[in-house]
Amino acid sequence: MTTNMFIAGKGWLYTLDSRAKLIGLLLFCIQVFLPMRQIGVWFLVLLSIAVAIRSVGWAQAFSPLRMVFPVLLVMLMFVPFTYRDGDSMFIIGSLTIATRESILQFSKFASRFIAITYLCILFFWTTTMATILATLRWFGLPYRQSLVITLAFRFVPFIAEAFKMISDSHAMRESTYGQKVHKRNRIKDIMPTVTAALVFSLKSIPNLAMSLEHRGFGRSNVRTTFRSLETNRSLFTHCALSVIICVLFWILFHS
Amino acid sequence: MADNTNHSRQSSKVALKISLVAILTAVVVVFTMVPKIATPVVKGYISLCDVVICFAAFLFGPWVAAIAGGLGSALADLLGGYAQWAPFSLIVHGLQGMIMGCIALPTKKKNQTTLNTPVWRMALAGVVGMVVMVAGYYLTASLFYGFEPALVEVPLNLLQSGVGVIIGIIVAKSTVLAYPPVLSFMR
Repeated sequence: MTTNMFIAGKGWLYTLDSRAKLIGLLLFCIQVFLPMRQIGVWFLVLLSIAVAIRSVGWAQAFSPLRMVFPVLLVMLMFVPFTYRDGDSMFIIGSLTIATRESILQFSKFASRFIAITYLCILFFWTTTMATILATLRWFGLPYRQSLVITLAFRFVPFIAEAFKMISDSHAMRESTYGQKVHKRNRIKDIMPTVTAALVFSLKSIPNLAMSLEHRGFGRSNVRTTFRSLETNRSLFTHCALSVIICVLFWILFHS
Repeated sequence: MADNTNHSRQSSKVALKISLVAILTAVVVVFTMVPKIATPVVKGYISLCDVVICFAAFLFGPWVAAIAGGLGSALADLLGGYAQWAPFSLIVHGLQGMIMGCIALPTKKKNQTTLNTPVWRMALAGVVGMVVMVAGYYLTASLFYGFEPALVEVPLNLLQSGVGVIIGIIVAKSTVLAYPPVLSFMR
């Protein structure tokens, strides 16, 4: 199990400062919920997909669309029957399948959802987890909270591996190993696995606490950090660029 | 000398609390992403993150459950490619953990542990947590794709949190019996 969504690639998004990227992400995510013309939101979607293709390539760029496809299908099933105002657009016999209002509502929800998905995923694809944590620290996340997140990421693969091993060893003890098991038995079988995995995880807590204490954690002296983000003139330029792009979008496409 | 002893005791408590929250957060991430129980009708999956949130709330109280549950769910959403849900998972599961912890372990009684917390109190905490989780995710889904389409997720969320509460109660009791030192982590 990997704890990093970063994909090595090329493009201007990789060189943009992570702080500017985070500001831009937040501003765009707020903007799609404000009154905007539909064409503006769809333009944002197409622009995000184009940036994704440029940054990570064709194969990876469309994976968020595949992920949100089930949600779009659910929207397509429900929204036309919820919004019945306006001119009828699709009629079968005497039954109105979709009205103009329902198509506009579906377009609004779908474009908003796809835009936010791509904006968030582009941020995590083009920024390493260490840089994201350094960014959050720069914005004021306290040292202890960032240490908790760092330690959690460090232990996720370890606990995942342990869970798989415990799960396999419990399964091998069953007489039905290798056979198809009824779902009720699967739920029953998961109890000893979950308990064993939790006990295994809890046993690592005192060792981790001891390691932190040996490194002087909890004392009153000021902590230093190994990684930090440089603050130079380009930071102001990048942040200004993020804000200017968002404001430009708003000016062009607000309703 | 007394100051040094108090100081080292204080720093060891802080280190233990940090370690506890970090490990439980990692466990929530793993239990959200790794074990999946398929649901037959809607062809979806339910995860076991609610098991760990219940476990943390019943054993360690509201704050640990809130931070581990909220942060763990948010990190799992980030790693699973559902980053748009991460801030909402942080709030919903954080609230769920906090409210369950407040009901299950309401006071810092000296000898109150999971062993003597009655099952009805845990079940009550679980039910209230279920309502918070389902309502929170319904409101979040409504924000993204409307009130009516968001209703589709309600039965699945109810099933997931219901299974989580039942397994969480059983696992909390059995873990304390299997590993009694766990009760000293928060003292």
